[in-house]
Amino acid sequence: MTRFTSPRVAGYAWVAAVGLVAGLATARVELVALGAPFALAALAGAVLARDPRIEAQLSLDRPRALEGEDVRAAVTLTSPEGSEWVELVLPLPEQLHALERNPRAVGLAAGEPREVELPLHCERWGAFAIGPLFLRGRDALGFHSWETQAGEAQPLRVYPSVETLHALLPPLETQVFVGNQVSRTRGDGIEFADVRQWAPGDRIRRVNWRASARRNELWVNEQHPERNTDVVLFVDTFAEVRTGVRGTHDLAVRAATSLAHRYLQRKDRVGLISFGGHLSWLLPHSGTVQLYKIVDSLLQSDVVLTFAARGVEILPPRTLPPKALVLALTPLLDRRSAKTLLDLRARGYDLVVIEVSPVEFVTPAPDPLSQLAYRVWKLSREALRVRYEQAGVPVVEWREGLPLNVPLEEVAAFRRYARPARA
Amino acid sequence: MGAYAIARSGALGGVVAVIAALGALMLVVVLWRDWIELLAWALLTGAGAYASTLFLDHHHVDGAAPLVATALLVCGELAAWSLDARWHVAAEAAVLRRRALALGALVLAGLTASAIVVALAGVNAGGGLALTTLGAAAAVAAVGISVALLRRA
Repeated sequence: MTRFTSPRVAGYAWVAAVGLVAGLATARVELVALGAPFALAALAGAVLARDPRIEAQLSLDRPRALEGEDVRAAVTLTSPEGSEWVELVLPLPEQLHALERNPRAVGLAAGEPREVELPLHCERWGAFAIGPLFLRGRDALGFHSWETQAGEAQPLRVYPSVETLHALLPPLETQVFVGNQVSRTRGDGIEFADVRQWAPGDRIRRVNWRASARRNELWVNEQHPERNTDVVLFVDTFAEVRTGVRGTHDLAVRAATSLAHRYLQRKDRVGLISFGGHLSWLLPHSGTVQLYKIVDSLLQSDVVLTFAARGVEILPPRTLPPKALVLALTPLLDRRSAKTLLDLRARGYDLVVIEVSPVEFVTPAPDPLSQLAYRVWKLSREALRVRYEQAGVPVVEWREGLPLNVPLEEVAAFRRYARPARA
Repeated sequence: MGAYAIARSGALGGVVAVIAALGALMLVVVLWRDWIELLAWALLTGAGAYASTLFLDHHHVDGAAPLVATALLVCGELAAWSLDARWHVAAEAAVLRRRALALGALVLAGLTASAIVVALAGVNAGGGLALTTLGAAAAVAAVGISVALLRRA
């Protein structure tokens, strides 16, 4: 531990020395008496100097939590010498805050471990390293202090809260595996599709007797099979607009988490592409493990400035399976992401763009030029939306405070009146 | 303490008041700007205000000197505690109690030491040269310890 001595120790010694010398020089015992308590204090300071050699261990009761939950951090202090005054502080990121006093001062008996609990409230999502602690041990009068860092950093992942989605976007085409999505194709299933003439190999149980009686020949029922969907969440991390901890990237991560959770619940396969300064991807898979992988990847995603040209060609082919539904969460701020999405549409992918609106995070200056620039910026965004719509891509604006169900419903409404154009 | 010095000062009241006020001002600066290094100077100035009144009466030993010394020590320690409190570290009641007790013990011990010094001054002990030499050696040792502590700080 690094030792620090209060300047007043030396100051007291000086006062004592001046009193003693002055008393001798002037033959006044009162001056010596003035210096005597300070000499005693300086001596006490020297005697009390004892390195407490404090050791600390930091632990969390769990490594994962949801937004809004509390996590308990426990600090175990030990010291062979003991210390009357031990100050400890646990530095925390702004997304977490302590529910009890931090920093705080406690007493520590020699050789006896002392546990200090510090409940933490997880206000917002993120991946954090909690620790190490900063410790300062003092003697009883505060003449000397010893400081150190102790305890290893403990990882803590706070997951974003999941929004309840009443309905999901169905894909234009399903995959070949069994799932919960009613497919447009014909085959074995529950939902009635059509009737057709009997062909060798058809089972008797599929015969539609009423239609057969009407036509005097065998007709069988056809159903829509239940198939699964491949969904790829495309998160644009080229740029963001934020105010404090709230911003477009924060909204995109929340939406991606909710969508991944809901689609995986439906036994669909979900993949993730974080497209921006730092490119990362997850191949589509199903199951709870995939959900944790996606959320962990989203927690570590961040907007990183880059001037590199990026396009679809740098994505590994298996990240975008054929006939996959691509849900793009983008603030439409960067031309590279806009170009990439149009490229995906041109390649025949079923693309939906959910525009995470940056407008409410922008406050233009009151001067006329700034107001004009703001209006031009909004017009350029509107022009980009029209380009997407002309390409047959539904673009819906999603603002903070609006349930995610609203833009999903808007996409469904768009699709009722639009048909995909195939080459 | 300053008021006591002014009350004793008689004709030199104005001068003593100025010195005492200077000491008080320095203490205010210590507390206002968190300049703990200035604390010793503030205490020395306050002690100087009292010391200047001693030369008005050469014949009697002022029995209140231990109280003045203790008051200066308490002033210094409370100023230091006040500066420590600015770190906004919430301390347990037991920890505060221990510090208060330690301060009380130090003040009591200081008062006792100072009173013993004043009491011994009334004892007519022989060996004046030896005692003077011993006192000078103590003064040199005190200065040496101060320098050593300054270097360590």
